[in-house]
Amino acid sequence: MSGDTGSARISFDDVHVGFGRGAKRVEVIDGVSFDVGAGEFVSVLGPSGCGKSTLLNMAAGFLAADAGEARFDGERITRPDSRRGVVFQQYAIFPWLSVEKNIAFGLTLKRNRRSRAETEESVRRYIGLMGLDGFEKSLPKQLSGGMRQRVALARAYATDPDVLLLDEPFAALDAQTREFMQELLHEASQAERRAAMLITHSVEEAIYLSHRIVVLGNRPTTVHEVIDVDVPWPRSPESRLQPEFLELRGHLEGVMRSLSGSAFRKAHP
Amino acid sequence: MTALRRTVLPFAGFAVVIAAWWLAATLITGKDVPTPGEVFATAWSGLREPEGLLVDIRLSVVRVLIGVVVGCALSLPVGFALAWFPTLRAMFDPIINFCRALPPIALTPLVIIYLGIGEEARLFVLVWAAFFASVVVLYEGIAAVEDIYVRAGRALGATDLELFRRVIVPATVPQMFVAVRVALGVSWATLVAAELIAAQRGLGAAIQRSASFFRTEEVYAGILLIGVCALLMDIAVRLVQARAVSWQERVVR
Ligand SMILES: Nc1ncnc2c1ncn2[C@@H]1O[C@H](COP(=O)(O)OP(=O)(O)OP(=O)(O)O)[C@@H](O)[C@H]1O
Ligand SMILES: [Mg+2]
Repeated sequence: MSGDTGSARISFDDVHVGFGRGAKRVEVIDGVSFDVGAGEFVSVLGPSGCGKSTLLNMAAGFLAADAGEARFDGERITRPDSRRGVVFQQYAIFPWLSVEKNIAFGLTLKRNRRSRAETEESVRRYIGLMGLDGFEKSLPKQLSGGMRQRVALARAYATDPDVLLLDEPFAALDAQTREFMQELLHEASQAERRAAMLITHSVEEAIYLSHRIVVLGNRPTTVHEVIDVDVPWPRSPESRLQPEFLELRGHLEGVMRSLSGSAFRKAHP
Repeated sequence: MTALRRTVLPFAGFAVVIAAWWLAATLITGKDVPTPGEVFATAWSGLREPEGLLVDIRLSVVRVLIGVVVGCALSLPVGFALAWFPTLRAMFDPIINFCRALPPIALTPLVIIYLGIGEEARLFVLVWAAFFASVVVLYEGIAAVEDIYVRAGRALGATDLELFRRVIVPATVPQMFVAVRVALGVSWATLVAAELIAAQRGLGAAIQRSASFFRTEEVYAGILLIGVCALLMDIAVRLVQARAVSWQERVVR
């Protein structure tokens, strides 16, 4: 199923990326290939600094590969495009715009201009889906971190993208908010069924949300392992206690530990 | 506590300094140090005199306003151009910093040679000072607009023009206010120096006139009025700023 590039939305095809020149050059991504199919939720797990954000930036169109290529619906990705919505780890909603104006932002651009009624409709839908009712007129500075990321998600959804690219969107949040956000994102993606690529450090988060998990190794990075998550859908807080969930969590935590352990030993021989 | 801090403490600061001044004026006998009361009285009578200090204030304030408005109107497009095109910035950054480092008053002799001692000469020096002070603040501020907002805008489908109008410009508004305040400060400093050299009227000229007649309390009164004018203008800008960029997050201490 994952090898079927016909239905692939995003595909990485033997991608290589390095930074710097000459003696200072560091190879970061050393031949990574995987796909994100239509309607599929794929998480990318990997040790710190292994190039997860680099891959996502490439899918978004902020960065080009040195060799190999990243494709969207079969075409080489060369620039950002609103068919690929992005949510960043840092708070990236516009601080000078109210919640509803942030969400409507993409729809007021020439690229995806909608009628006023359609825009309002869409803003209302995602305000509801993200539980932001009552905060339409608030400014970002009045919101908690979790709410800001909900606005960011709503803003990304609003332009009706084919793929969502999520770069550790919940990493800055406290554990409880995080879990709540995972459930919210799970419900939203159940309702929307869009393809998504989620970068995360959290094994728990990856299992809870994904059809498939791509585990990356240490730099220079290759794909360490790809896992189909067989925890039944839809997931709920109880899913976290199911045997499939626990077994996979145990396995992945072991993998992550050994990966970051070997990175540590390499850095401090 | 914060309300108290904002409303009462600034006045308390002035009170402390005025008290110290008064003490110094009563203790120092060998030199001519007028007391605060004498200076306030002198300023007050100067203001009430027909064709008195009010005329000087009006002239100086108008000069500063023209300098700041024209200087900032020039630095705004230049600042955006320099921030947007790295090549331009690499090319002009050193020369701009060179010009900014020159004390504007050092230019006055040349300005007098080429433009005479009329109003154009003084305005030229003021515009020069306001432009170079504000342009650096502006383009450094614009270039520092967080990349994350630019990326977010692009990912949502913004064209270059939309990115400029709807992301870069609003994100830069706080920096524009900083630039105006910097330009105001520099313009006051430059104006007084320019008027000290060649002007019939204006606060700087008034100070110069009083000094040549050894009317110390008038010199003090002139200095006091310059401070008051500059402070009031800064407060006015800050009031506008507070409304225009109320979205800005402040670090509360
Ligand atoms: N523009 C750049 N110039 C030089 N090196 C870079 C650049 N961007 C990333 N790197 C390096 O590439 C490596 C991978 O970076 P990346 O941000 O993709 O990692 P990551 O897996 O997202 O890490 P984290 O888990 O900390 O978010 C890092 O070692 C980083 O220092
Ligand atoms: Mg990262």
